This record gives sequence, C-alpha cells and structure tokens, in this order.
Amino acid sequence: MKKLLLILISFVFLTSWMVKLPDEAEKAIAKPKAIYIYNFTKYIEWPAESKQGNFVVGILGISPVMISELSKAVEKNNSKPESRKIEIINLSSVDDVTKCHIVYILPDNSAQLAEVINKIKNKSTLIVTEKPGMTKQGAGINFVIKDDKLQFELNKPTIENHNMKVASGLEALAVH
Amino acid sequence: MIGILTMLSVFANAQIDKVSAAISLLQKGNLDSAKTIIDLAVADTEIVNDGQAWYIRGFIYKSIYNAREKTNIKSPLRLEALNSFKRSLFIDTSLANVVENKKNIKYLAATLYNDVKASLDSVNYLIAIDNFEKFKTYSKLIDTSQETIKQNDIKFLLALASVYTQIYENDRKGKSEFLNLAKATYYKVLILESNNISANYNMGILFYNQAVQLINQSDYDIDIVALNDIQDNSVKLFKESLPFMEKAYQLDPKRREILLGLSGVHFSLNEKEKSDYYKQKLQELEKQK
Repeated sequence: MKKLLLILISFVFLTSWMVKLPDEAEKAIAKPKAIYIYNFTKYIEWPAESKQGNFVVGILGISPVMISELSKAVEKNNSKPESRKIEIINLSSVDDVTKCHIVYILPDNSAQLAEVINKIKNKSTLIVTEKPGMTKQGAGINFVIKDDKLQFELNKPTIENHNMKVASGLEALAVH
Repeated sequence: MIGILTMLSVFANAQIDKVSAAISLLQKGNLDSAKTIIDLAVADTEIVNDGQAWYIRGFIYKSIYNAREKTNIKSPLRLEALNSFKRSLFIDTSLANVVENKKNIKYLAATLYNDVKASLDSVNYLIAIDNFEKFKTYSKLIDTSQETIKQNDIKFLLALASVYTQIYENDRKGKSEFLNLAKATYYKVLILESNNISANYNMGILFYNQAVQLINQSDYDIDIVALNDIQDNSVKLFKESLPFMEKAYQLDPKRREILLGLSGVHFSLNEKEKSDYYKQKLQELEKQK
C-alpha cells in the first residue's frame, strides 16, 4: 500500500513539450512563390520565336528549397505529353540568363538586377524579383508583402517592351 | 489490518448471519463464496442500510480485485469495491468507519490514477478519460484539496491534449477532428491556469503547424485567387498562434522551444526583424550552455 502511494505521489504525466516545430516552415514560404511563378507562365504570353524547346525558369541565387518547390509546381504540367516542358535551372552565373524565359532573382542577389537587364536586352525574358522598388529598376514582376501575405507588383510596360503580353487577369491581381 | 479485524469482530458480535458467513468465508480465502453471500446480505432490506455490511462488501470486492483484476484497467470489481466503500462512508459516519473506508478508497483511487497513466495513449485514451473521471469522483471523498484536484486536472489534460495531437499528427486528413480536440483540451487547461506555459506554448504551436500545413498541403497547380485565399487563412492562423507564443515567452523567456516558435511565427508572417530577434535570443541562450 505504501509503495503504491509513493508511486502515485511521484507520478507525473508525460506532459507535452513534444509538439515539434514544423521543419517545413521554409517550404511554406517558398511554395507560394513557386505557385505564383508557375501561374506567370500561364498568364503571360511569350512571342512565337520563344516557343522553341523547353520553357526555362532560372533561379539566380542559392535556394535548394525554391528549386525543389518550383520543380514540384511544374511536375503536373511536365507529365502531360501535350504540354511544353518547363525546366527549372539554378543559374550559377548571370551569363546563363540568356537561355531563360523567366529569371527569378533571389533577394540576396538583387544587386545583380542591372547586370541581368543588361544581358537580356532585347530578349523576351521575364525578370521576377523580391525586394521593394525593383519594378522601378527594371524588373517585370516583384514579389511584395502586402496585407501580411505574398503578392506581386507588375510593370506592364517593361514586360511589353520585351515582346511579352500580360493577360488582363494577371494585371487585375497585381498590387497597384 | 487491525481495523478490518475490529470490524469483523463487531459483525461477529452483531450476529448478522449472512454478513458473518461472508466474513468467515473471506477469512478462509474463499472469495467467490464470500462475494455471493455478501451480495445476498446487502440485498436484504434489514441490512441494505447497514454501513458496516457495505464496508465488508467493499473489502471482499477489493480482495478479489487484488487477486484477479489488478491488470484490468476497466475492472468492474474495483468499481464495485469503491461504490461499496462510498455507500458505507455515507451510511455510517462513525470515526472508525470513516477512517477505514477512506483508507480503502484512497488505495483504490490510487490504482485508478496509475491505470490512467498506463492507458493514456492513442488506443486506450477513452478508458483513461473514464478512469480519470472516476478517480476525481472518489478523490473528492478522501479530503483531497481543491488545489490538488486542480493540479491533477491540469496534468491529465496536458497529457490528454498530447495524445490528441499525436493521433492528429499520425493521420492529419483522416483524424482532423483531433486537432480541435487538442485545442479544446489546452483551452480547458488555460481556463484552470491561464499562466500555464506548456498549454500556451502548445496552443501556439498547434495554430502555427496548422498554418504551415495549410500551405504545404495545397495543390501546386492552383490559381492565384485560390493561393490568396490559402494565404489569408494561414496568416489568420499564424496570428492566432502569436498571443499564445508571446504569453509562453513572457512566462519563460529562456525556453529554447518558445524562442524557436516565436522566431518561426514571425518568419512565417514575413516579419524578418522580429524573427531574427528571437533567433538571436536563442543563439545567446545556446552560447550560455
């Protein structure tokens, strides 16, 4: 009896510091960007001369999670035999941007925007950035946080100057 | 044991045949026959309101429980024993009877509590809840303080919420109702004790995880309007997480998990400076170790 009561007194329930923080928090930040970029391929029309071969999305900067999320975003598209394949590549140098239809410049690499603009000049390449004020500096689309969520600014004239057409639906969804 | 012998002699002197017969059988170790006779005795209108007869019944049932049902977490014999001691306690308020009954109730309530611990898992949690409620009922009969009852409640509810969370985490789509059960259970703790660190932290984490999962479980080929809806809902959940996390931080600013959680919530709300602030606090904490 005494033994049993001692067990009772010393007994403590397994309390709960056991809920783990999600290791997928980084993914949850990258995924909306990937979904946006995949949607840009549908809302923007590239000229006929850009329709040869794979559609190439290049990421300037280092972000394995972004590469992974973008690859997943285009997976369904790429599994359809009739669809144009979308290729996701990591750009190790600004020199490689010329082969891209979309160049996504990660925030840490924003300083390279002018260099990228210089490289693509007359090519139909959409530049996507993620830093305040980048559309004024020549990016076609810039991710911004508005109302606590990821949204985007659109510079329609810049995009059209590179012979791409913006669907009115995309323009309506952009932050003004 | 001296107590029970005293009781037995009282009954022998009282010459209540059935009860005496049951006592005699109990002494000889013939528990089944003792049980049969005592059940007949307490059904008798002359004895049904005899507190000492109920005490003997409780003792016989307790003896059988100890001999045969110690490992049965749903033991009906234990409940019969407890019920008999309780009836005896209410009928006969003499000091000796009260002391003896409370001693036995305390012993059996302790076995209930230990079974709650043993069965509080994703399979047997309903039995654990049932046993805990019974434990509480009988604890109130043995002079347990309100504060002890409250602390037992808190410990139990925290453990139960953990079990609900575990069930949900193992099958998020199939067992989504367990997320709400976990939240409701942590809320119960916070009603009892608003400064409970574990409940605050875990509420924060549940909302945080839910927000992250909302995004991560969405399809990749959704349109921008659908994406915005998902983001709106996840932001709402991140914001629901924040006050709980901040409260937990206020209560224990040096807890690693809380710093990590706050950094994560602010990171997810795109509040990089705030996220970095808690990350830095965490780094400072880890340097001190």
